[in-house]
Amino acid sequence: MKNYQALKEYILTKKHRAYRRAVDVDLAAEYSALGLSAEERMTRRFEYLCENETPVVLADERISFLRTLTDIPHIYTEEEFAELGNKHRLHELGFHSNVTPNYEKLLRHGLLYFKNSTDEYGARDIDALISLCDRYIAEARRVGNDEVASTIERVSRYGATSFLEALQLFRIIHFALWLEGNYHVTVGRFDKYMYPYFKADIDSGKLSLDEAAMLVEEFFLSFNRDSDLYPGVQQGDNGQSLVLGGKDENGNEVFNELSRLCLEASGRLMVIDPKINLRVSKDTPIEIFELGTELTKKGLGFPQYTNDDIAIPALIELGYAPEDAANYGMAACWELIVAGVGMDTANIDALSFVKMIDKTVHEDLLTADSMDDLLSALKKQIEAEVDTLCKNTDGLWFIPSPFLRICMDENPDGSYKYNNFGFHGTGVCSAADSLVAIEKYVFGDKSISKQELIDALDSDFEGCPELLHKLRYETAKVGQNDDDADKYLCLLLDIFSSSLKGRRNCLGGIFRAGTGSAMFYLRHTDGIGASPDGRRRGEPLGANFSTSLFAKTGGPLSVISSLTKPELKNVINGGPVTLEFASGIWSAEDSISKFARFIKTFINMGGHQIQLNSVDLETLRKAQEHPEEYDRLVVRIWGWSAYFTALDKCYQDHVMQRQVYGI
Amino acid sequence: MSEGIVFNIEELTMHDGDGVRVTVFMKGCPMRCSWCHNPEGLRREPELLYKRIRCASCGACTNIPCSHDECKPFGRCLHVCPNDCLSVAGERYTPERLAKKLNGYKRIFESSGGGVTFSGGEPLMQWDFISEVIDLLDGINVAIETSGYADGEVFKRAIQKLDFIYMDIKLFDPDEHKKHTGCDNELIKRNFLALRASGKPFTIRTPLISGITDTRENLEAIEKFIDGAAWEKLPENKLAGAKYAMLT
Repeated sequence: MKNYQALKEYILTKKHRAYRRAVDVDLAAEYSALGLSAEERMTRRFEYLCENETPVVLADERISFLRTLTDIPHIYTEEEFAELGNKHRLHELGFHSNVTPNYEKLLRHGLLYFKNSTDEYGARDIDALISLCDRYIAEARRVGNDEVASTIERVSRYGATSFLEALQLFRIIHFALWLEGNYHVTVGRFDKYMYPYFKADIDSGKLSLDEAAMLVEEFFLSFNRDSDLYPGVQQGDNGQSLVLGGKDENGNEVFNELSRLCLEASGRLMVIDPKINLRVSKDTPIEIFELGTELTKKGLGFPQYTNDDIAIPALIELGYAPEDAANYGMAACWELIVAGVGMDTANIDALSFVKMIDKTVHEDLLTADSMDDLLSALKKQIEAEVDTLCKNTDGLWFIPSPFLRICMDENPDGSYKYNNFGFHGTGVCSAADSLVAIEKYVFGDKSISKQELIDALDSDFEGCPELLHKLRYETAKVGQNDDDADKYLCLLLDIFSSSLKGRRNCLGGIFRAGTGSAMFYLRHTDGIGASPDGRRRGEPLGANFSTSLFAKTGGPLSVISSLTKPELKNVINGGPVTLEFASGIWSAEDSISKFARFIKTFINMGGHQIQLNSVDLETLRKAQEHPEEYDRLVVRIWGWSAYFTALDKCYQDHVMQRQVYGI
Repeated sequence: MSEGIVFNIEELTMHDGDGVRVTVFMKGCPMRCSWCHNPEGLRREPELLYKRIRCASCGACTNIPCSHDECKPFGRCLHVCPNDCLSVAGERYTPERLAKKLNGYKRIFESSGGGVTFSGGEPLMQWDFISEVIDLLDGINVAIETSGYADGEVFKRAIQKLDFIYMDIKLFDPDEHKKHTGCDNELIKRNFLALRASGKPFTIRTPLISGITDTRENLEAIEKFIDGAAWEKLPENKLAGAKYAMLT
């Protein structure tokens, strides 16, 4: 009899890491000396890693596969990689990321099936992986875990015939995709492609609901075995996002018994992976929002909600086929991508709205005769910046991933159906607040002259505490449901999205505008000074689509009222309203019901995405002082949840700053 | 035209009625409960609140000579704090202005089955104002949280106009009530009888204050008196300490 609790304890206390070893080999030098092609290098490395992985089968596990090699040696030498960077536009690490495999076909067919349709490299990858699977089978037999042995025996070659087999096959593919060097490999619509296996087992009596729940939990645990080895900006930023619910191609609700088990399993596990995303719409029953809120209450920072009523029509408008639009899922954070067919680069760059304000104030304010004049100048600045951002994407090239290709749905010519590029948009609320201030005091009551404002910004408000207070705390802000501020929010997003309309990228795709910030909420304050909303030099921006950190909002209802005013269909690259609450709110008995209705209201009002962070500031302070006592404390960062103490201090501080003004 | 004094308008409040709600806290209260968790609601006059947690002790609010009229009563300038530590509790509203603000939430209330809750302080001290506000509301559900300590006629008129009433019965024994709240409870008991006779939906609430209201004698006496009416016992509000510290 297997003891799942023992397995859970084993993994959560990181005992499995004892099996790890470093890779001490310079593949890049070897490949370089041989002058190998990119495809050959990727395949050779994959073969090497599969051969050198040590199969580890734990006595209490039902779902196997554990990374034992700590690092993946590069396929290029530093000089070669630098040269590639000169020749192409490389994105981040140069490998594919933010993709969702077509798990539906992979689970159905297993690996062998694809050998005939793939190329030489793909076929070699399949052989290498099957051979690793065979070594896993032998190891499982050796340690007496016959269930694992027979599960892998079946699924590695021929696809899944049961829920357990489907979970095991998923695990093998997920493992292999990371081993190949891809990252931010997401899970997609788990409750959609996994449901047939689950339902068949439940209906036939092969599996009870309790057993299925336990399997889901063990499966979720598997996302936390190797994730510290995955690349990301910070620990936790690993893109293991899983999507539940939403509509299918025929407009039917996907949310099912398996979706419910997933939410419950996540709440029991209390770990940061997989990150749960809930697709909802105005048709979603309140009970589903309540189930989601139970997770929020536990402090996991998810689920993150995305609104089908906005997302699906918006994707269709961008040129996605209706059946693909209906099938959207989540990239690493909140960028919308479609499993199998989507090779979009949804986070290729970011527009800094506060930089645009900074430029406009310094270059155009003195010569502007009216607010309209200034806004035309701002529009030109944004268009020029967008133009530069688009040009910077020219020549985009990814190091080919033969195994990933098998998992996706290539066109016969090797291209992909969707090759769109997405831009984040950072600090839009600070920018809108800045425009209100300029309108009101520079062109309106003329209480500040143009030069005075510029001087105040350049001196970081040195010697003008009253002006700072007025701009910062006594002027209309986004988040107060005040049209004076919100009209500029609408305008800025409108300029951003219209300046991308009609443009084509170097892969033939389009450009998508978004409201996400990623880590740019910190980085985009570099190189600019204070802003006219009273933001001092270097002060960070709000996370994603949220009000400025110091805005005195009217409360959460005013915030969602402000933030649902823009035409959010036009900024559907993604970027959620990110709200912060003190964890004390959950002591009220009716808090689950209230928050569920609050989220549903946001969806009914046409919001596109939302996520809630619930932490206790005092606990965060203590965790900074005594990190060793808080190693499982979870917070939401930008599009992912993390263990607070594993973050760099600047990200810890930002989470705390978001809270301070909420008190 | 009447004018109301509001010390806070809070969105998405918990425990204040059905659905997503906005609670309007009216300033001024005739009672002086020893455990009060909204001390800034006691006096009618505006009061200065000070958020110590953000204060960098820079001294700007006391050092800078200030000529603003609104700052004079407090001896500190309200317009220079770099961290926004100072604020004034007690804002005057006309019925029109408050109703306009509350009507702005109509869509949210409709979507969530929520509404407005008037609390305090003791909202019935400003009933004429609230009544005018309700007349201007666009079909919004209105609840009240009252101590029940109000003129009998005012109380009857009020409950007729409200959709839901939360009323406190804190202590049954008149002497104990007087001792811990500063007021006699005869009026409250009479108002309870009127409330029950009115047919309006209501819930009676008793804050559980250790050694004061949570005694067996008190709870049994209240239970007997309200005779099967909906009744909630509320745990002691732990936030009170923080708010007292905010009053300068």
